[in-house]
Amino acid sequence: MKELRLALTTIKIRIKDQLHYPGRFFTDIVVFATRCGILLVLYWYVFKLRGGTISGTTFQAVAWSMFFYFTFMTFRLRDISREMMMDVQTGQIETLMNKPISYLSYKAWGRIGTGILPMLTVGALGATALTLTVGAPPLMRSAAFFPTLALVFIGSCSLTIAVYTIVGLLSFWIEDINPVFWMVDKAVMMLGGSYLPIALFPSLMYKIAVFSPFGASQFLTHTAYAKWLYEWPMLIGIQAAWIVLLGTTMLIMYKYARKTVCVNGG
Amino acid sequence: MKNDLSFAIYAIKKNIQGSAELRTSFLTNVIGMMINNTAFILLWVFFINAVGQIGGWTPTDIIGLNGFAALTYGLAFSTFYGIRKMPDYAATGAFDRFMLSPKNLLVRVSTSAFSTSAVGDVLFGIVCLGIFSFLIHTNIIQLALLLILAFAACLVFISTIIIIYSIGFLFTDGNNVSEGIFQLFFTPAMFDGGAYQGGMRLIFTFIIPSLLIGTMPIEAIKDLSFVKATLVVGLSAVWFLLSILIFNRSVKKYESSNFMTFGN
Repeated sequence: MKELRLALTTIKIRIKDQLHYPGRFFTDIVVFATRCGILLVLYWYVFKLRGGTISGTTFQAVAWSMFFYFTFMTFRLRDISREMMMDVQTGQIETLMNKPISYLSYKAWGRIGTGILPMLTVGALGATALTLTVGAPPLMRSAAFFPTLALVFIGSCSLTIAVYTIVGLLSFWIEDINPVFWMVDKAVMMLGGSYLPIALFPSLMYKIAVFSPFGASQFLTHTAYAKWLYEWPMLIGIQAAWIVLLGTTMLIMYKYARKTVCVNGG
Repeated sequence: MKNDLSFAIYAIKKNIQGSAELRTSFLTNVIGMMINNTAFILLWVFFINAVGQIGGWTPTDIIGLNGFAALTYGLAFSTFYGIRKMPDYAATGAFDRFMLSPKNLLVRVSTSAFSTSAVGDVLFGIVCLGIFSFLIHTNIIQLALLLILAFAACLVFISTIIIIYSIGFLFTDGNNVSEGIFQLFFTPAMFDGGAYQGGMRLIFTFIIPSLLIGTMPIEAIKDLSFVKATLVVGLSAVWFLLSILIFNRSVKKYESSNFMTFGN
């Protein structure tokens, strides 16, 4: 109950904060439109040149897959790493740790509260635009689609938070985590199917994407392809396994990280 | 002019010395950024392998494109990182201290900060352009073009960021607005140049100069196209003059804040 109240309060405060700064909305929409929009135009042109399909994949599936990736990116759960680094570097960490709430929960709910409104806005606008231009893929009419989409979305959020929190926790020891963040972030970007949709991956890269936590954190992008309807139990299973493993690692790391903090000391 | 230049060089030198003081952090940032940039080359090479060449663009061209993009980005933000901080300076009132300085305002504010990771971009850009030159068997004319266009591309990049971050003076939430516009400018510069045809090419050359910092220079060098080279050089001069004009106009919109501090 206490945890739920913390979550709701944090999310509510962050949403109110977002509403006060329309510039942030503008940034999110522009970034989304630039990255996703131009890539889609590029792929539309490429598919047109290649006669409508590449490796048996249609533009429609690729467009929805990339749309899912960039919408999820608008959630900005990845920013949790840098927020934690800033807390450590500025000394804010000791104030937050002295509060009677869990630091990790506060950070995670804070990120969710900050990102949820831009993500929903961009998601609604983008989905409408895509439905009107390229149409909805046939698999979206399947009864299993939306429940599994919701499941994999929750899994993607949890795994992304776990991956980036682990990176953020490193700042308790190495202070400047930027180089680690860049590497993890690029691994997520490549294996998640951002610029190159997963349907066009070489077979080895596809296997790495499926079995690594970086690719697993972006399984949302798999939902746009027809084979999702029979692959989802395996993919959600892999995602759940990574959540347990990295979630446990995160908690163990946090336990040790707490010991490195010297309040009023360093 | 000479005084401004010598001040800029002095400020940049001090910034580099300050960053290099934290040696481990400096090196990890530089090396980390170089590894980070490699991801973009890999992505676009996979893209070409999967869908084939578009508009005659090969993986070699992608290496060159990333070289230009990284070099321009790196040089601009390693030396003139203060430009990116202008909206923050305006929002916090820290811009006051630059206005009170007897030095050239734009030079003073531009050289007020330094990005360590951008040094990694510069090195990565030089390595990529070296590989690109080697792979296309550059002759002396192409090499000269590469150097001239690298300079012109840097000028376009710096001019564009001056315009983008000057816009920050016009909004209360200037930092976010400027960052959004910066993404609109820079992201298309990283994409496979062969994909820009017709209207898209015109928009991203003349309205948003994204293609001037990589795509057009690469095509000019590869095809030995003096028309494209002249266009890049000519437009770089136009953008530079425009950026000075917009900066001076935007600064007039700045209202000194009433914080009881002396800036940051």
